[in-house]
Amino acid sequence: MNQAVKPDTQAIVVDDIFPHAPEVIWKALTSGELIGRWLMAPTGFAPVVGTHFTFQTTPAGAWDGTIHCEVLEVVSNERLSYAWRGGHEGNVGYGAPLETVVTFSLSRTDTGTRLRLVHSGFVLPNNDTAYRKMSEGWKKVVANLDRVAAEQASPQKLH
Amino acid sequence: MIEAETVTAVMRALADPTRRAVFERIVDSDEITVVELTRGSGVTQGAISQHLKSLKQAGLVCERPEGRNVYYRAEPRGLAPLADWMSHYGVFWRDRFADLRHLLKEIDP
Repeated sequence: MNQAVKPDTQAIVVDDIFPHAPEVIWKALTSGELIGRWLMAPTGFAPVVGTHFTFQTTPAGAWDGTIHCEVLEVVSNERLSYAWRGGHEGNVGYGAPLETVVTFSLSRTDTGTRLRLVHSGFVLPNNDTAYRKMSEGWKKVVANLDRVAAEQASPQKLH
Repeated sequence: MIEAETVTAVMRALADPTRRAVFERIVDSDEITVVELTRGSGVTQGAISQHLKSLKQAGLVCERPEGRNVYYRAEPRGLAPLADWMSHYGVFWRDRFADLRHLLKEIDP
């Protein structure tokens, strides 16, 4: 699975500084019990490359709501990356096929740790019947418009 | 059904940096008039009106006349071709970061 960000996809980036040591944050990212307390409860997670695990979220249409993950990269206290796959061909909008990668990068700062999340691989959807108005999410999309607009010259492959 | 042309139309409408700035200002306000949009924009009111026309055609803004004024507001559905999963996760990860912050405080006071 090539993890390179393809030109026809987009990424979400959330970047923040936490007043804790990287080792503490690493624990919160890689202990199944702790992951369940801030993200979602994983089934079968282990911080070992090649491990397959799942999250269970809201079903949508033909999709049962299972997120299928696979650990791609583990560098203790520095970097954790996993594939994040879900959705179903029969859906559009929320619940449409999703083939993405989630990467957490940690770096020590004077005041604690900078945690950067990159969720990459979003493909422009081809329609919107499942679209709901979301104020913050929508603004997030607006914030990504620069990149989106830059892509307007390249024709979109729609499935 | 939104077709490829619609995605392209939305992106074309937002490809112009000035037009995009106009759109973002509309998004950030509940409702806004041409006069308010022109203020501090560095372009003429006529130019702003042209941009509004393009944004309306792309389905990104809608208007509401009231007396002498026309109020513009953003049309969330217009951005849908670019949104859904991404919007969902944009919100999702911000919320999760907030939860992580609370958890870290608990386990590492």
